[in-house]
Amino acid sequence: MDFCIDENILEQVTRVVSDSNNEENEWFERLLCRQKGVQRMSESQNARVLRIETMYASLLDELQMAWDEVGEMEEEREKTMLEIENECREVYKRKIDGVKEEMTRLRHAIADSEAKLMSICSAMGESPLYGRQSEQSGRSLKEEMGRILQQIEDMQKRKSERRNQFIQVLCDIQCVSDEINGRSEDISSDPEVDESDLSLRKLEELHRQLYTLQEQKRTRLRQIQDHLRNLESLCLVLGLDFRQTAFQIHPSLVESEGSKCISNEALNQLASSVQQLYETKIQRMQDLQDLLMTMLEYWNLMDTPVEEQQRFRNITSNIAATVSEITEPNSLSLELLEQVRTELCRLEEVKWSKMKELVLKKRSELQEICRKTHIVLEPDIVDENVMEAIESGEVNPENILEQIELEAAKVKEEALSRKDILEKVEKWFSTREEENWLEEYNQDENRYNTGKGTHLILKRAEKARILVNKIPGMVEALVSKTAAWESERKAEFLYDGCRLLSMLEEYTELRQEREQERRRKRDQKKLQGQLPVEQEAITGSNTSPLKPAASGKKSLKVTTNKRVASVSLPQTPRPGSPQSAKSNTPQSRLSRKIDQRF
Amino acid sequence: MTMVPSIGRQISNSPADGISNLRFSNHSDHLLVSSWDKNVRLYDASADSFRGEFMHGGPVLDCCFHDDSSGFSACADNKVRRLVFNVGKEDILGKHDAPVRCVEYSYAAGQVITGSWDKTLKCWDPRGASGPEHTLVGTYQQTERVYSLSLVGNRLVVATAGRHVNIYDLRNMSQPEQRRESSLKYQTRCVRCYPNGTGYALSSVEGRVAMEFFDLSEATQAKKYAFKCHRKSEAGRDIVYPVNAIAFHPIYGTFATGGCDGFVNIWDGNNKKRLYQYSKYRSSVAALSFSRDGRLLAVASSYTFEEGEKQHEPDAIYVRSVNEIEVKPKPKAYPKPPA
Repeated sequence: MDFCIDENILEQVTRVVSDSNNEENEWFERLLCRQKGVQRMSESQNARVLRIETMYASLLDELQMAWDEVGEMEEEREKTMLEIENECREVYKRKIDGVKEEMTRLRHAIADSEAKLMSICSAMGESPLYGRQSEQSGRSLKEEMGRILQQIEDMQKRKSERRNQFIQVLCDIQCVSDEINGRSEDISSDPEVDESDLSLRKLEELHRQLYTLQEQKRTRLRQIQDHLRNLESLCLVLGLDFRQTAFQIHPSLVESEGSKCISNEALNQLASSVQQLYETKIQRMQDLQDLLMTMLEYWNLMDTPVEEQQRFRNITSNIAATVSEITEPNSLSLELLEQVRTELCRLEEVKWSKMKELVLKKRSELQEICRKTHIVLEPDIVDENVMEAIESGEVNPENILEQIELEAAKVKEEALSRKDILEKVEKWFSTREEENWLEEYNQDENRYNTGKGTHLILKRAEKARILVNKIPGMVEALVSKTAAWESERKAEFLYDGCRLLSMLEEYTELRQEREQERRRKRDQKKLQGQLPVEQEAITGSNTSPLKPAASGKKSLKVTTNKRVASVSLPQTPRPGSPQSAKSNTPQSRLSRKIDQRF
Repeated sequence: MTMVPSIGRQISNSPADGISNLRFSNHSDHLLVSSWDKNVRLYDASADSFRGEFMHGGPVLDCCFHDDSSGFSACADNKVRRLVFNVGKEDILGKHDAPVRCVEYSYAAGQVITGSWDKTLKCWDPRGASGPEHTLVGTYQQTERVYSLSLVGNRLVVATAGRHVNIYDLRNMSQPEQRRESSLKYQTRCVRCYPNGTGYALSSVEGRVAMEFFDLSEATQAKKYAFKCHRKSEAGRDIVYPVNAIAFHPIYGTFATGGCDGFVNIWDGNNKKRLYQYSKYRSSVAALSFSRDGRLLAVASSYTFEEGEKQHEPDAIYVRSVNEIEVKPKPKAYPKPPA
């Protein structure tokens, strides 16, 4: 690898960078401090050396003087000096060896203590505060020993504190986990602490564990709270006692926050109970809404007055509510539902009775229409038995009503088509009456007598004769119309149960009979000479249409089918009484009918 | 004693405080170590045995061998001592007025040369019979505190504070042969002469080494250069470390540098290459020394207090075997000569 050669350096640098100078001085200062630190220790040594040297010097002087006095030889002096030196050296050496032994002993002790410290530290998962090597930073062995012992003491204290922390957290973990698992809280002994791992890391791990468990506990308590809130609202709505309900689910639920059981069973029970009550709420709500719907129908049907409705107004406001919107107390309680049901029963009864009334009303309406239009109904719906059937509940009045309405509709429709014909029939009837009256009148021999009201009668008679002349045409028209109606409707035109055409036919026959009878009688009278009296009578009064018919001057179009109503009845002679005895012939039946009408 | 192949074998019984210097003997594998714990220790590096220690009156800032039987020490108690190994005796050769920073023995001159923070250089005659008065040969004033000394042949290079470099001829110490200023911008840490005597290497606290030459001719001076080393690149910037020690391989002329970054690098100065880097040591490399045959390298891994008093790795001495491949120069490949 090549050098990184710096070309700039090769120039002579004349200016020294001031920074580097300052750094250098600071560095040198530090060096001096270090040296002084070391030096201070030397000074005491120097003092010692000085002391010894002084002692040595003075002793030596003394020796020298003694030798001088004795006159010791130089060789001897040298020898002695050497001996002294050796002995001194021995003394020092001994002392030095002793200190060195102490040094070795201390080193061993330090090593042992270090090992002990290391084991405590490894259990704590920490490293010792100071570097391993004892021989550094100029510390003496004793200092080092003291330091290590102190560290051991500190570490042991910390270890025991740490251990307590472990015990605490393990206990807490045990507690919370018991609560969660639903185990009863026994007074357990101190948990087992793993002595080999008392590190902070492990402690943190345990704390995290504890925190997780506490979180779980908190979550569960929250869940319980939520459930209890729901439970409370459900109980309120359903009209149940909250405390009692809660107690039944699990006794601990009515306790204060800290003593609630949070085991899985308790939670599940609570959850399922709440669910059940919720379903009950839904069920009742549906029931109530059904009831209310029915109630509203009844109100609608029967036009129930507002005051009556008011009592249940606040309940009906729930009719379209969703489950969550129903929160009023007791709004779904059993009592309330009972109330509603009772009211509904009452309304039903009301409805039934109204229905009955309605049926009666409708029925009589129908009857009226039928009567007016001379329709005869099937007896089943207008029968009196129907009402009994309704009373007993055999027959649903609504069905009857429906039938009646249906029938009424049909009848109304038919009535409309019959109107025309019926008018004509009325006219025909009234004309027939007049005819009958005229007939009787013609029979009356006193009819030309003057008296009160005679002129009115005469007038009437005249009108009657005109009408009677119109009869054939009328009848014809009626027959054709009826025939047309019948062919169109493909049904018989019934009048009060009888076929109108038959009636008309009968009438026509009767008329013809009468006509024949009259002719016969006329013929008879002709033979008996009663004719001039008739003529007289006729010429003396208003010309009746009958006369010409009888005399043949004015020709009435008389067909053989027609009958003349004024033909006197052959059966019984009537001396001056216009009233004819009732007998059961077709003619009398007709008269009877006319009588009935009057 | 731990066997860690990459950083060497740790010497047992290491000093209790920082190691200021260590030296291999020229005659054997004895290793002399001076320390701030006021001791000089002698080891047999190959045998890993402890041969003795000498207690001083203060931190010992430097030491050197005379021969296998004695050595010298420079102490912060201002005294220069001779240490006699076999006997275990030491005696005071002389005194400075301030801590003695460096000591060298010149075989050529037969003198002990010491440099001190009292801004003087002193030469001593170790054969002086008695008393410090008679051993002092001369005192030579320097402009600043002496930081480092190196001898080769008759030349003496003195590096002082203020980046001064004085080059003396031992035969004429009255004045420096050359007065120079360090080529490097920052405080000089260490100076070592090339074994071939042509120049010296100078290191600073700023992760740089300058290669200088004695010969003042232009041609020679053109060969001088400086290079960066013992630096760490971090987030686009260089963290620079002081280069505490330089040691030349006695045979190959390549040299090792040790820095406060804890690394030892081997350099080929002629070919301008780094030959090797050893695994990082636990602490700053405070001193380096090759054995006389260049087969061993002693490394002092010792906190050098560049950041003041602080908790640090324990001080230790490592002796490692040196492989040829780590120290043999690698000439540049020449282009093939035309056929």
